[in-house]
Amino acid sequence: MSIETSPPAVPEAAGGTSQIQKILFSNEFGLVVLIVLAFAFFASLLPGFSAPFSLFAIGRQIGIDTMIGFAMMAVIVTGGLDLSVGAIGVSAAMVFGWLCERLGLPLAVSIPGAILFGALLGTINGYAVVRSGVHSFIITLASMSIFFGVMIFLTKAEAFRGLPPEVAALGRLKLGGKVSALLAISVAVCIALSVFYRYTTLGRRVLAAGANPRAAEVSGVRTGRMFIACHALTGALAALAGLMVTARTGAAVPSMAGQLGQDWLLPAFLAPVLGGTLLSGGRVAVFGTLLGAAFVNVITAGLLQLRIGEFWIQACLGLMLLAAVLADRGRHVLLRRRGLV
Amino acid sequence: MGSKLTRAFDNDWIGPALVSLVAIVVISILQPSFLSSFNILVLLSAIAVNMLIALGQLVIIAVGQMNLALGSIGGLVAISFAAMMEIWGLPPLVAMCGGLAIGVVAGIASGFVIARTGISAFIITLAGLQIFKGINLGITEAQPFYGVPQSVKDFGNVAMAGPIPWLVLPMIVAAVGMWAIFNRLRIGRFILAIGGNRNAAELSGINLDTTVIWAHALSGLLAAGAGMMLVARLQIGHPAIGEDWLISSFAAPVIGGAILSGGHVSVAGTFFGVVIIAIITQALVLFAIDPFVVQIVLGALILWAVGINRLRELRVAKAKA
Repeated sequence: MSIETSPPAVPEAAGGTSQIQKILFSNEFGLVVLIVLAFAFFASLLPGFSAPFSLFAIGRQIGIDTMIGFAMMAVIVTGGLDLSVGAIGVSAAMVFGWLCERLGLPLAVSIPGAILFGALLGTINGYAVVRSGVHSFIITLASMSIFFGVMIFLTKAEAFRGLPPEVAALGRLKLGGKVSALLAISVAVCIALSVFYRYTTLGRRVLAAGANPRAAEVSGVRTGRMFIACHALTGALAALAGLMVTARTGAAVPSMAGQLGQDWLLPAFLAPVLGGTLLSGGRVAVFGTLLGAAFVNVITAGLLQLRIGEFWIQACLGLMLLAAVLADRGRHVLLRRRGLV
Repeated sequence: MGSKLTRAFDNDWIGPALVSLVAIVVISILQPSFLSSFNILVLLSAIAVNMLIALGQLVIIAVGQMNLALGSIGGLVAISFAAMMEIWGLPPLVAMCGGLAIGVVAGIASGFVIARTGISAFIITLAGLQIFKGINLGITEAQPFYGVPQSVKDFGNVAMAGPIPWLVLPMIVAAVGMWAIFNRLRIGRFILAIGGNRNAAELSGINLDTTVIWAHALSGLLAAGAGMMLVARLQIGHPAIGEDWLISSFAAPVIGGAILSGGHVSVAGTFFGVVIIAIITQALVLFAIDPFVVQIVLGALILWAVGINRLRELRVAKAKA
């Protein structure tokens, strides 16, 4: 049954085709196709690409990038952004190192402690943004500098290397022989966030506040509080990402996200934008973010193993972000022409 | 009733200028070596470079956008400038023209994509940051170029007269040029009009695309200038040039009273913003305070300046009502 001839009088059929069309036009579907194609391409060129160790390494990095992407996604919902995710992630990782190495606290205390600390830093950002009415770009630009500066000042730029062995073991842990435990954590958080945004009152209110703050306010949503909650969630997720990097390295290193945590900015935006999160707010693509991170890492790993200089890969990632936003724009124009949006 | 005084304080640059003056007086009382001619030379060199960086961001703030790629354009130009002299043996002046051209082309490329697609400048310049940085590292493989001619090294390190370095010359050219663009030339008024009210600007017949591309071209030109000044100052073409420009490029214009949503900027205010940052950085060094504290202070300065600007905005709104 083709689309042109199906009579709109039959709601069942019309609903069915548009459902299929919706799926076919969705970011997620496009990404799955791209991931499969990219994977097949590299696996056919490189015999070692689909070896268990390679899959494990790619999966682990996907897990970390997904979490960084989630952290940014949680604040993109408000139509804002958070430049300080990297700084928060590193700061939380250092707090974690301090809690379990200096204070000797068990992991069951120091892990939640670090995540709470991240949430606290996020809350400070959110509070400053909401109360001052200044755009989150400039507030988090300042807080990125402050958080990172205080962290370096207090740690004297030295790493915590005497962490409990369980931390590094988690980074090496393979579930079912090849799936990284860090990837499993991100998948679990992905499911939790999907439920949060789709089925909980708070999640729906957050989306409503991000889509149209004034309308949400009029219908009784306290948008200010919602925005602060979004920033707090961003902080908590950034802290989790910092802990995952710590598990991979086996140490809490102040330079793990580069100068001021800037190195996280690209993965933080790349995954959600590829996944179809609207930068203007109000719409999340939780599963898409996971797929976006997966796509980026399959390409990166493939190019690395093809021995294209690692420095040129950075330029490739930039081009990929550019291509992603251009493709997204093109898709919107196409959908609008067909009257599907 | 003191209205003249309050009106004077509505000038963007009066506040930062007073702060600079007080800071200079206080620090030189506490630490007399602050006013030594060597220290003034160092201070002026830092101010000269940072002024170009700040102006490069200022012109983008004026049009209501932001440029994350500023530092990576500066870095790419810096290493290209050094490479052209070392590998191709080009004379410094020719290499300089080449460097400025690269900066302008990079800026035009960003501006073109932003103007034509309507995608947020943040995302496009984030992609640009990564692309230009990647090209920089791809060319240098993270190794500096050491073969910078003596004349270029001298330009960055020798005093022109007394404690005044040669580097001040490009700063004066850039500052006067940008002031003239914003206050005397049509393109500057167009940039400010778009930043102030995009729709109104378009309805009054301003070509949005061309103006945005112009703004980014100017930004690229200024970043290129700053990158090459740093090559002269550091005496090598270091691939890390530009990595730390992001915070200070926003701090100085914001301290100088620029409104981030666009349409309102001050070249003089930005100058004093740059001076304040340079004095504070220098003072921390003189008092042997941990250099990482600079980061914290810069962040706090941005918040403070944003707060002041916000209060002024509210007061202006109240006065109008």
